[in-house]
Amino acid sequence: MSGRRVIVVGGGLGGLWATLTIAGGGHRVQLFSLFEVMRSHSVCAQGGINAVLDAKGQHDTVAQHIRDTLRGGSWLANQPPVKSMCEAAPGLIRTFERMGVTFSRTPEGLLDQRLFGGVKNKRTCFAGASTGQQLMHGVDQQVRRLEAEGWVEKHEWWEFLALVKDTDGVCRGIVAMDLRSLEVRAFRADAVVLATGGLGQLYAPQTTCSTNATGAAASRVYQQGARFANAELFQFHPTAMLGEDKTRLMSEAARGEGGRVWVPKDPADRREPNRIPETERWYFLEDWYPAYGNTVPRDIASRAIWRVCRELGQGIGGGDRVYLDLTHLDRDFVEARLGAILSIYRKFAGSDPLDAPMEIFPAAHYAMGGLWVDFEHDSATGGVTPGSPRNHATSIPGLYACGECDYAYHGANRLGANSLLSASYSGRVAGEAVLSHLAGIERGAEAMPGAPFEAEVARQVSSNRELMAGQGHESAYRLHEELGALMTSRVGVVRDNATLDQALDELAELERRAAHMDLAEASPWANQTLAHARQVQDMIRLARVMAASARARDECRGAHYKPEFDLPLPSTRDPADPQWERYRERWQANNERWLKTTVAEHTVDGPRIEFEPVDLSVMTPDQPRDYR
Amino acid sequence: MTGIAGSGLHLTRDGADAAGRERDRDADAAPRTGGDVEQARACEHRHVELRIRRQDAPDSAPYWQRFRVHPRPGDNVVSVLRALRLDPVTVDGERVDPIAFEHNCMEEVCGACAMLIDGMPRPACSTLLEDLGDVIRLEPLPKFPVVRDLMVDRARIFHNLTRVQAWVRLDGPWDTHERAPRISQRQWVADYLYSRCMSCGICLAACPQFPASSRTNADDNRAFVGPSALAQVRLLNAHPLGRFNKTDRLHAIMAEGGLTDCGNAQNCVRVCPKEIPLTTAIGELGRQTTLQALKDLFG
Amino acid sequence: MSASIASPHFLLRRLHSLFGILPVGAFLAFHLWENSQSRFGAEHFNREVVGALAGLNYLPFIEIGLIALPLLLHALYGLVIIGGGRAEPLRYSYLRNRLYWLQRISGIGLLVFILLHVGMTRMAGLVDPAIHADLFGHMRAALANPWVFGFYLVGLWLAVVHFANGLATAAISWGLTTSAMAQRRFGWLCAAGGLLLGAIGTHGLVGYLTAPVGGGA
Ligand SMILES: Cc1cc2nc3c(=O)[nH]c(=O)nc-3n(C[C@H](O)[C@H](O)[C@H](O)COP(=O)(O)OP(=O)(O)OC[C@H]3O[C@@H](n4cnc5c(N)ncnc54)[C@H](O)[C@@H]3O)c2cc1C
Ligand code: HEM
Ligand code: HEM
Ligand code: SF4
Ligand code: F3S
Ligand code: FES
Repeated sequence: MSGRRVIVVGGGLGGLWATLTIAGGGHRVQLFSLFEVMRSHSVCAQGGINAVLDAKGQHDTVAQHIRDTLRGGSWLANQPPVKSMCEAAPGLIRTFERMGVTFSRTPEGLLDQRLFGGVKNKRTCFAGASTGQQLMHGVDQQVRRLEAEGWVEKHEWWEFLALVKDTDGVCRGIVAMDLRSLEVRAFRADAVVLATGGLGQLYAPQTTCSTNATGAAASRVYQQGARFANAELFQFHPTAMLGEDKTRLMSEAARGEGGRVWVPKDPADRREPNRIPETERWYFLEDWYPAYGNTVPRDIASRAIWRVCRELGQGIGGGDRVYLDLTHLDRDFVEARLGAILSIYRKFAGSDPLDAPMEIFPAAHYAMGGLWVDFEHDSATGGVTPGSPRNHATSIPGLYACGECDYAYHGANRLGANSLLSASYSGRVAGEAVLSHLAGIERGAEAMPGAPFEAEVARQVSSNRELMAGQGHESAYRLHEELGALMTSRVGVVRDNATLDQALDELAELERRAAHMDLAEASPWANQTLAHARQVQDMIRLARVMAASARARDECRGAHYKPEFDLPLPSTRDPADPQWERYRERWQANNERWLKTTVAEHTVDGPRIEFEPVDLSVMTPDQPRDYR
Repeated sequence: MTGIAGSGLHLTRDGADAAGRERDRDADAAPRTGGDVEQARACEHRHVELRIRRQDAPDSAPYWQRFRVHPRPGDNVVSVLRALRLDPVTVDGERVDPIAFEHNCMEEVCGACAMLIDGMPRPACSTLLEDLGDVIRLEPLPKFPVVRDLMVDRARIFHNLTRVQAWVRLDGPWDTHERAPRISQRQWVADYLYSRCMSCGICLAACPQFPASSRTNADDNRAFVGPSALAQVRLLNAHPLGRFNKTDRLHAIMAEGGLTDCGNAQNCVRVCPKEIPLTTAIGELGRQTTLQALKDLFG
Repeated sequence: MSASIASPHFLLRRLHSLFGILPVGAFLAFHLWENSQSRFGAEHFNREVVGALAGLNYLPFIEIGLIALPLLLHALYGLVIIGGGRAEPLRYSYLRNRLYWLQRISGIGLLVFILLHVGMTRMAGLVDPAIHADLFGHMRAALANPWVFGFYLVGLWLAVVHFANGLATAAISWGLTTSAMAQRRFGWLCAAGGLLLGAIGTHGLVGYLTAPVGGGA
């Protein structure tokens, strides 16, 4: 077995695609994951994955996919990567299909597609309502084959703790901890790919994310110098089940397939929803956004629900909930297309969405922001240069990032079903970039002096020891709860600067308290509290980045909403109306100032926020978002 | 009724609420806001005793501990175990190490949380407390080596997928610009069911033919692969490309530890939380292997 | 050479299953039908049933090659299979699982039964030609003892349950029945067949005691 050694951290869609690409390219990959890779958060994805196949007679085009993605993200995404991703999507779907993914079919046996939010064409491929799990099966099997052939070595039950950099600041490996034996060990590598997923746990328990979506790994490399971009742009999914331990997602596909969101016109109406006549229901999304109706983008739907419940007091029973209704649809159709989420709702809420509308509210879902990554603009195609070693490279040489932990594709708001696409696509692109990067390496990590590795191991061992010694009195689990409550209430759907300032103070205080933990457990074996305590510390630091970035952006863009700086759409929908023109001018002036990527860098005093321009070379942001 | 169990959602609007929430937790099942008050009250005085089989390390002896918890409406076994981490005190007032257990998705799709609940293997996250009695026994998933407490090592599940070559042999993960082959909706429905396996190992825990770890090694290539791996063979053998390696997979499951080790007890299909038709897969593979053997012998 | 032949495992298992049905299962059916003729009395039984069989050519070959050997192989390999499983009929109280357990219990019970039974009949007949000459009388005398009768009744029904359930599971193993519905339907069919076979057997057992002794014995 020849080739160089690469480390991939994370075995979700992003990490597995990177592994597949690198190992397939003839290099040995060590794959790290907190648990067996098939338990990664990617298996939770439900609704689907976008790709233009134009199989529904709607004249869908890749250009439209690019435009929808960019506009849906309030133009904040760098455009060449988006362009390349949308162009690659159909091929990616075909590849998944070849891997054995059970995509749903039309009666003619072709790949079926459904409607998702923020678009007008059916563009979303799906496998029932368990698309993420199916895609994972596909790549996981390919990686397993490479593993059987000796190209991939899995380190499941290992947690990434830190990078090891040489004197030039080049990443030469990692330090990781065996979550069973608690052994801390250094691993050398000629490149490291981070694919550690999202950070929804910062909002726990009001999140749709798995309990491992802590963002701790991204936070760690950020603290070691990697830049973190657009941290304030965090998506709240409009339709999550209510729940104390977790707010489980009811996929956007529910609306894509015809589900309708409504509340009783009279919030005091206590009747069973099915007994409320049509005339006494308020379909507020359809009312406010007749053009897109229930499938407006997520930030818009979330804010609408927020407004209905919090500002208008129109939530069901005056509380924080609205109906998501599937009962008017054909039962067999819904069962076939959405069976997986129906069964989640039945199991956890104890009622059947086919019989009675579901009760839902927005919940923390997806980080548009993430580790800053580079790309090489290909002037010939307008996309990114295939195989460039710059693609998906972080600001630390030798460290790449892909999947939800990078910031690259979704701007200020992600469109539904674009993230399985970006996770898979970015994994492949990062893998190809690593292949080029390896080709340019002269001296491998094996030849590096051992000192930096030993030093980093010693540092990590000592911080473990400190935590285990338990000098403090704070509980890691309680701190996590407090963090979630704080983020939900202060850095949530609607933001304002005074509250954000308060949040920053409170986070600093939390961070201080987190330095004084008492694990209440000293077991040297499979000590879950130790791992969690470390994660909580890093989560708080990441939360500070989010709050600071949110504080810095004084405007409304996508998921980031500060009413104080809102530019309300004119009442007219006629673009020829001078009112519209005036609005557009103001909007453009705002873009001059704020159409910028937020970039955070770690300093001892906390995050330093800067802004950098967005690559707008594919299409000019000429149209403000208007989904009415 | 719409019956949202556990709908005590109360997004905190300000700091006071956040503090209130903390107090709620401390006071355990204190009444919640809005329509949940009644429900919360109904549960307020419900005490549930958890009897948990613990084990400090793989080679140490198991022991039992009892805990009293006050479930909130809608709680499931994972959520009470999570709550218990905050304050792991036994009924005898002894403060002990938090219970080690696995969970990720909390919506029955990752397979991490499988354990024995009142003697039956189930996903803990989708087992609601309101469906259980006032004394709940929790034990680690049998058949797999215990790592600690309720955590087990299920590496064998994945090793067995390797044994049966549960993959399609691709030329490479790039686009070949070939349109996806047509698959009838009827076949899709049949195939899709198998692709919902979450590798939880519940079927294996219940299968009398699947050997306990004390009787085999993790990389034993002769022990029964179990129904979950067989179902993947069924799935891949039906795929338009997977079909090309059907013979390899069939030969793999015709060896020791393969299909014929199934004794048709059919517990697997009864306990599988994803209702995967494992025994149909076994029947279909029975047919495929019969034909394959005829081909091998006389073809 | 193909893997399925290279590794004899699959063929052995299938042979075990096959032997359970053919010839052993077929023999059982035939044997019970034969014995059901006990109610026609000693003369008929000894002449038409035992006599007709004894007149067959190559009888030892048939007896050893088609009955004893396959049965022995099935039984011995069956023991190996039993050693490879751990039934939990109480924890998992599903019907199929109970049958799985019963298949194993009945197999072991059958082993005991058959050894004793063949010893008391065929082997005893070899040692003492008088027994062979009047098998009817021999059986009638033996079955008159309620313990022996009970032993036979149990052995008979164990065999029938084992065979009927064996047929149902063999249909799954060989891929005859695949859908859950088909497996259930065929299962009931086998149960019905088993009941019939059991009735025939029981009838035969009772026949030894109730049939007229008369005739030319
Ligand atoms: C409920 C839900 C439904 C969704 N549905 C859709 C959908 O329908 N369509 C869509 O496009 N998107 C959807 N998304 C978003 C999408 O699922 C995710 O963005 C995507 O799966 C992320 O993949 P990933 O590979 O980046 O990370 P993940 O799948 O989260 O994988 C992270 C990996 O990193 C590992 N890891 C993390 N930290 C460490 C560490 N410190 N050390 C070692 N390993 C580590 C973990 O073990 C894991 O293997 C959904 C998201 C949610 C929450
Ligand atoms: C109804 C109850 C039964 C009766 C009355 C009965 C009777 C007999 C008799 C009379 C013989 C001697 C035949 C001979 O010597 O030629 C015999 C032989 C035998 N019986 Fe049974 N039997 C019964 C049930 C069973 C069962 C359940 C089995 C199990 C499969 C069985 C297996 C055998 C075998 C293997 C032989 C030896 C056959 C041979 O070698 O020819 N019998 N039985
Ligand atoms: C004498 C002792 C016997 C033992 C120990 C024994 C054991 C077994 C066992 C363990 C099985 C289950 C195999 C599996 O599920 O993999 C089995 C199956 C079977 N047995 Fe027996 N058996 C015995 C006698 C008999 C007899 C007398 C008959 C015929 C009447 C018989 C017919 C069958 C049949 C048809 C099957 C089904 C095979 C399959 O499922 O493919 N067995 N036996
Ligand atoms: S088949 Fe069912 S029980 Fe078995 S591992 Fe898969 S999901 Fe779990
Ligand atoms: S429980 Fe086991 S014995 Fe066979 S039918 Fe299922 S695999
Ligand atoms: S936590 Fe994922 S299945 Fe229970």
